[in-house]
Amino acid sequence: MKDKLLEIIEYLKSKGVDYADIRLVRTETERLKVKDVTVDSIVHDVDQGIGIRVIADGAWGFAASSSVKSGSFRKTANRALQVAKASALTKKGNVILAETEVHQDHYETAFEIDPFKIRLNKKIDLLLKVNKLLKRKKLIHMAESQMDFFKIHQIFASTEGSLIEQDILQSGGGYCATAVDGSEVQRRSYPTSFGGDYACAGYEFIEGLQLLENAERVREEAIALLKAPPMPAGAADVILGGSQMALQVHESCGHPSELDRVLGTEISLAGGSFLSLDQVGKLKYGSDIVNIYADATVPGGLGSFGYDDEGVKAQRAPIVEKGLFVGYLTSRETAPVVDQKSNGTMRADGWNSLPLIRMTNHNLEPGDAKIDDLIADTEGGYMLETNKSWSIDDKRLNFQFGCEIAWKIENGKKGQIYKNPLYTGMTPKFWNSCDAICDKSHWHVWGIPNCGKGEPMQTAHVAHGAAPTRFRQIEMGVSK
Amino acid sequence: MIGQDKIYTMIEKVMASSKADQIEAVVIGDSSGLTRFANSYIHQNVAVDNTKITFRVSIGSKIGTASCNSFVLTDLRRALKSATTIAKRQKPNPDFDGFAQPADYPKMDTFDQKTSKFSPKQRASKLKRVFAKGAKYDYDMAGAFSTGDGEVAVLNSNGVRCYQQYTSASINTIATGEDSSGYASGVSVKVDDLDIPKLADVAVKKCRKSRNPKSLEPGEYEVILEPAAVSELFEWLSFIAFGSKAFEDNSSFLAGRIGEKVMGENITIADDALVPANPGLGFDFEGVPKQRIEMISNGVAKGVVHNLISAKRAGTKSTGHGLPPEEAAEGAVPMNMQLSAGESTADELIGEVENGLLVTRLHYINGFLDPRVALMTGMTRDGLFLIKNGKLRGGARNLRFTDSMLDVFSNVLGMTSERAAVAAWWGSMACMYVPTIRVGKFKFSGKTDF
Repeated sequence: MKDKLLEIIEYLKSKGVDYADIRLVRTETERLKVKDVTVDSIVHDVDQGIGIRVIADGAWGFAASSSVKSGSFRKTANRALQVAKASALTKKGNVILAETEVHQDHYETAFEIDPFKIRLNKKIDLLLKVNKLLKRKKLIHMAESQMDFFKIHQIFASTEGSLIEQDILQSGGGYCATAVDGSEVQRRSYPTSFGGDYACAGYEFIEGLQLLENAERVREEAIALLKAPPMPAGAADVILGGSQMALQVHESCGHPSELDRVLGTEISLAGGSFLSLDQVGKLKYGSDIVNIYADATVPGGLGSFGYDDEGVKAQRAPIVEKGLFVGYLTSRETAPVVDQKSNGTMRADGWNSLPLIRMTNHNLEPGDAKIDDLIADTEGGYMLETNKSWSIDDKRLNFQFGCEIAWKIENGKKGQIYKNPLYTGMTPKFWNSCDAICDKSHWHVWGIPNCGKGEPMQTAHVAHGAAPTRFRQIEMGVSK
Repeated sequence: MIGQDKIYTMIEKVMASSKADQIEAVVIGDSSGLTRFANSYIHQNVAVDNTKITFRVSIGSKIGTASCNSFVLTDLRRALKSATTIAKRQKPNPDFDGFAQPADYPKMDTFDQKTSKFSPKQRASKLKRVFAKGAKYDYDMAGAFSTGDGEVAVLNSNGVRCYQQYTSASINTIATGEDSSGYASGVSVKVDDLDIPKLADVAVKKCRKSRNPKSLEPGEYEVILEPAAVSELFEWLSFIAFGSKAFEDNSSFLAGRIGEKVMGENITIADDALVPANPGLGFDFEGVPKQRIEMISNGVAKGVVHNLISAKRAGTKSTGHGLPPEEAAEGAVPMNMQLSAGESTADELIGEVENGLLVTRLHYINGFLDPRVALMTGMTRDGLFLIKNGKLRGGARNLRFTDSMLDVFSNVLGMTSERAAVAAWWGSMACMYVPTIRVGKFKFSGKTDF
């Protein structure tokens, strides 16, 4: 197949393109969902095709086809050329790409156990056991658990001479208990909400999630929330749990640091960014203890890979250092705007999608606190855990996030629980109120398999390293 | 497109080789072009062809699902075999009563040759006019313009054979100035139905009229919600309230309240894919004919939509709202919702507001805050206007709303007789058909500086 790709690259060169690359992607997916004690669905999918990007007449064109029959590659290449020539009709200047190294390489995810070779019964039985534990109390109206596995094989070739093969394996899962009493409905999820936790890893990741060990606690917390009062409104000190911090980093740091948003090219759907070009090296994004890096090299991170979809090697790029905003996520087209080379974040969610600037593992570096010490050090406030709702404006400033559960912290101790906790803020003010981050022993890279961006909508697999973190005097809201 | 005859012939050949008790095949083909523009030039331009084939197989009440995107005999047979293997290893599903039975399907007029053949060059040509409209005021124009065609076929071993081809054209555009922006959008089966220069004019006019926006304090305001804003609220309502899964897990505000008044008497919310204004598929992805279903009838909770399995659990029949097989675990979801019309014009509605706001669209809504009361939050965007004494009086800086949609739709003081089709984010054949509405009280909980 590599020969066929290289043949198309030569063909496009013969057509006089300024640049072209081709990706052949084959993704095998297995999804298991269990509702109560019934296996709701087991789906196996094989999805493959080619995507060809060209710069011709100084403008971009992209065409993709699921057909990998002989003849269809050249047809798709011609279509990409036709699309580029149409784009050129409105261009304001020629697309210029930052230089990058040429690579011939093979990258693969390190893993121990291939999840596709684990018997279906073993996987189903684990989910059924979880649900049976959750359903052991009558107030649990519904138990839902799931596992997802992705095996991605990709070959990338470019007119600059890169030829890169990657084999990426991703695994994840989790569960949710819905408790109902009259008109009151509350949920608790594990390890986190909306599907659970994910990683570039094999089935050993599922075995390490301790799904069964946490089911009874999750069930009891869901039931307890039915009788819990709503959180009172007003300013308070807040400790956010690790998975909620992952969401906080994602929405209020990850997306605004995407340089395509800053340059206005995502404005029609997702919006722009408050991190304008004049803020680099000047904006005090957070307090001195806030350090955020985009690191596509973190072992096991769901946003880890060998090379991005422009053939740029995975790397670690600083975004916020000692609270100062210092850099963006970039592509080969956008990096020259900030006088840099690409830091390798262009990714597509499949053969049929155009690569976009995407978060990789966008990590808040650990601090030096221990969670017990941090709670003990908090005179009055709340601890919030597990994301429930998220909303942020189109420049990524005004946000309101909700969690599944909150605990009152009084005189350094966790006490009363509250339902439907919400908090709101403005991004830089919020991050500047950060005064403690837990240490490496509490730090975890949370995998998020559903980051939406682009038109047509693409769903990226990204991750965020985070630990429980404290913020002072945050505005808390109340659900009504 | 592959075409009905070729699909039927090939799938029947593949199904004939299987010994499973029942087999269902869903074929979804899509050939689309999407041109994205920003800063008044085309920066992304794509053309994609794809065909997805999904087999569901039952052995007794054990179900397996497998799919591929290759319409080649060996790959199709491999996918069917994979579905059968999964079914054999599955646990029985007590809610499975078999796949759909043959039925009469409505004839839908959802294909337009010109839209099917609309080229990237033609899209670029239309967009040049959009850019020219913005250039007049030095505004940057951004958005997306898509055209394409597709086909859906559902076949099963009970004899179900349904097929529909469609085209879709949609555009959204934002005009951005120094301190303001304006938005407009359109969607239709036919590209010629889109009056693109007029839509660009609307976006530019909104941008001009909202210059020098005033800062407002959060609080309760009387609001006019334009169709784009209403549609965005409906997208969330479809998931948190009107789908079968939310009803089943009790998180829907309809659960346990059927027959009760939950919204104002002037509110009827239905899903209807069969009307020409917001046409969808005439059948669902299980091969069940689509029905018009009223979820809210004159303010009274009536019910939700169902697929075959959720209907069995609820002791009723499928309403023809099953999702593609790989998403079946999400239950049934209404994809062509509409809100009842009123008797006013938009100008008349605005004219009745003494002191309030006009909202062009909403952004990043979330409806998971407290679904039992449909509590949602989100931002205004691309055209928030002050209304004083029945007239638009300039722009306002954007606000965050946090409010219960049960309260909002219990307090609708008027609606336009004219309704607009608004594209929904989840597919070419999904859109909303809604009027502009006047809401007596809408709660804003936060503000921005832009």
